[in-house]
Amino acid sequence: MKKLAVFAIIVLIFGTISPSLVDRAYGQSDPSILLRIAVQADKQIVNQLDRVYGDQIPNNLQILYDKGHRAVYSLDESLPNDIEKAKQDFLLAMNSFMQISRTISQSSEKVVVVTVSDKSNRHLTSEIDRLEKYVKTLEKISKKYNTNVESDFIKIYDLIQELRIQINDGYGTYDDVINEIKIILDSVKNDIRESAIKQKSDFIKRFFDRLLNQVDKILTHAQDNDVDQIQIDKAHALILEIRELLSKNQINDAKVVFAELKGFMEKIGYPIRIT
Amino acid sequence: MYSFIEPTQSNQSLGDDGILFVRNEGIFDTMVKTSLLLASMIIAAALIPIQSSFSSPRDLDLIIYPDGSTHISTEIDVDPFVTDYELNLFGSTIDNLVVVGDNEFLLDTDIIHDSVLIQTFGSSIISIEYDIHDLVSKQGKLWTFSLDSPSNFTLLLPQNSAIVGMTNLPINMEIINDQNKLTLPSGKTEIDYLFSNTISNPIPDTETETNYFSYAIIGGVIVIVLIGAVIIIRTKQKNLKPVNHNPIIEKNNILDIETIFKLKPDLREDDKELVKFIFNNGGKALESELRKKFLQPRTTMWRAVKRLEREGVIEIEKKDLQNLVKLRKNMEEEE
Repeated sequence: MKKLAVFAIIVLIFGTISPSLVDRAYGQSDPSILLRIAVQADKQIVNQLDRVYGDQIPNNLQILYDKGHRAVYSLDESLPNDIEKAKQDFLLAMNSFMQISRTISQSSEKVVVVTVSDKSNRHLTSEIDRLEKYVKTLEKISKKYNTNVESDFIKIYDLIQELRIQINDGYGTYDDVINEIKIILDSVKNDIRESAIKQKSDFIKRFFDRLLNQVDKILTHAQDNDVDQIQIDKAHALILEIRELLSKNQINDAKVVFAELKGFMEKIGYPIRIT
Repeated sequence: MYSFIEPTQSNQSLGDDGILFVRNEGIFDTMVKTSLLLASMIIAAALIPIQSSFSSPRDLDLIIYPDGSTHISTEIDVDPFVTDYELNLFGSTIDNLVVVGDNEFLLDTDIIHDSVLIQTFGSSIISIEYDIHDLVSKQGKLWTFSLDSPSNFTLLLPQNSAIVGMTNLPINMEIINDQNKLTLPSGKTEIDYLFSNTISNPIPDTETETNYFSYAIIGGVIVIVLIGAVIIIRTKQKNLKPVNHNPIIEKNNILDIETIFKLKPDLREDDKELVKFIFNNGGKALESELRKKFLQPRTTMWRAVKRLEREGVIEIEKKDLQNLVKLRKNMEEEE
């Protein structure tokens, strides 16, 4: 028995720590990536220092660079045998290079911190790439529901093409076109949602049915605990209303009433919890 | 501390028939307690993955666009018996949010500050995609990506970007459409990167490294064949009379120093000195030799060498972890 217990404990301990072991092993699968990243960063920093300071590199940056550069050499020597040392060297090198690049960017002429959400700093190509990715996601979803939105997508792709041409030409009514795309997309989303709800209505009804049966049980329990009968009746009335709406396939309305029921149950101290 | 089972030998309690008796006091307790302990540990161990499987991302993939906006796609296991699920987003400036449940069922969402309330309708897995503008900041020419991730994640950096600093060890790296894709561990991560036209990006792929082994085998075979050929040729040459001829040195293939300077009239004077030294050294020299000769610090010499490489005057080779600087042979053709 004792042996069994010890065995079980060992198995459990191993089972608990094994995921982290797997992660670590994965991290070490190709440690040469550390060297590749560090060498690339080293070259970039040399270019930056050359471009910004020429032959007159400030002493603090020179010291930092030498520290980082030595770490890259040490990293090269540590691989592939001493992985732990290589990791330390990598972090030391990248930290030194990070400090250098941040110091350079702070001391450069353009010391303006720009948040990328700043509209004046917009990058139209990125904006269109993101929009196109969004359109493709919606198109993929729409195909699942046999919606009649194919022509809408054709129109959207035409507009995206038009936008790209405008950007290449360097002028155009970008915002107008983007707004037009967004309006069509909103309409497409509504169509998809409606179609999805129709196809999924049975599933949703079953889901609500399961929930409402549970709420009934909670209310019985609340009644046993002397909760005011008026409140119990009100909850039952809401349940009835939801069932009626579901029978008429008015899913969205049922959801609204369910949200009301949920809030009400929380208010009387019997929140809906299904586990 | 005491043991529940005590060996009877210690108490000299062998029976008359020589049968070994074991004191049975505490055996029941021992068995029950051990079983309970075991059972509770098994239950605890079984519950850990269930608890952690809900609300924790299965996958988390990030794509950074050139303007610093980031596309996030993630899959999350959720409790199928709840109507709503609240997910913390990585910021508050959200665009193009799409959430789908089981069977690509489009789910309704409400964004409240930096979280989203999703009506899951009993879905057990939800896929979320959105664009966010809060993860990357820019100062001067330096871009900084920051994220405190609940799980491991992948990060696709923009084209022509080069990492110049990072706070975490990457788990993996690969190349996707000429872009670096990093796999990073959970926790806080900061990555600094720059855009440059001169970047020799992307960083060579892992596959290139892994192929080295096969290249080494092929190379080894070629070397053995060559050595064999050399031995055969030398054996044959021993029977021939030695012929006087001027040794062909590599320098013959290299342009003379005046031609190099004519082709590159804009070279700096100190760089010309370097070129002269390399030329007189048989057309090649180690970077460390150059440093010793010209008494220059490592960085200054590195930059000078890089300058000459950019000018197309020299090429750099790795030799025993050192940089071997060689004058280029085909300069004239390029000009």
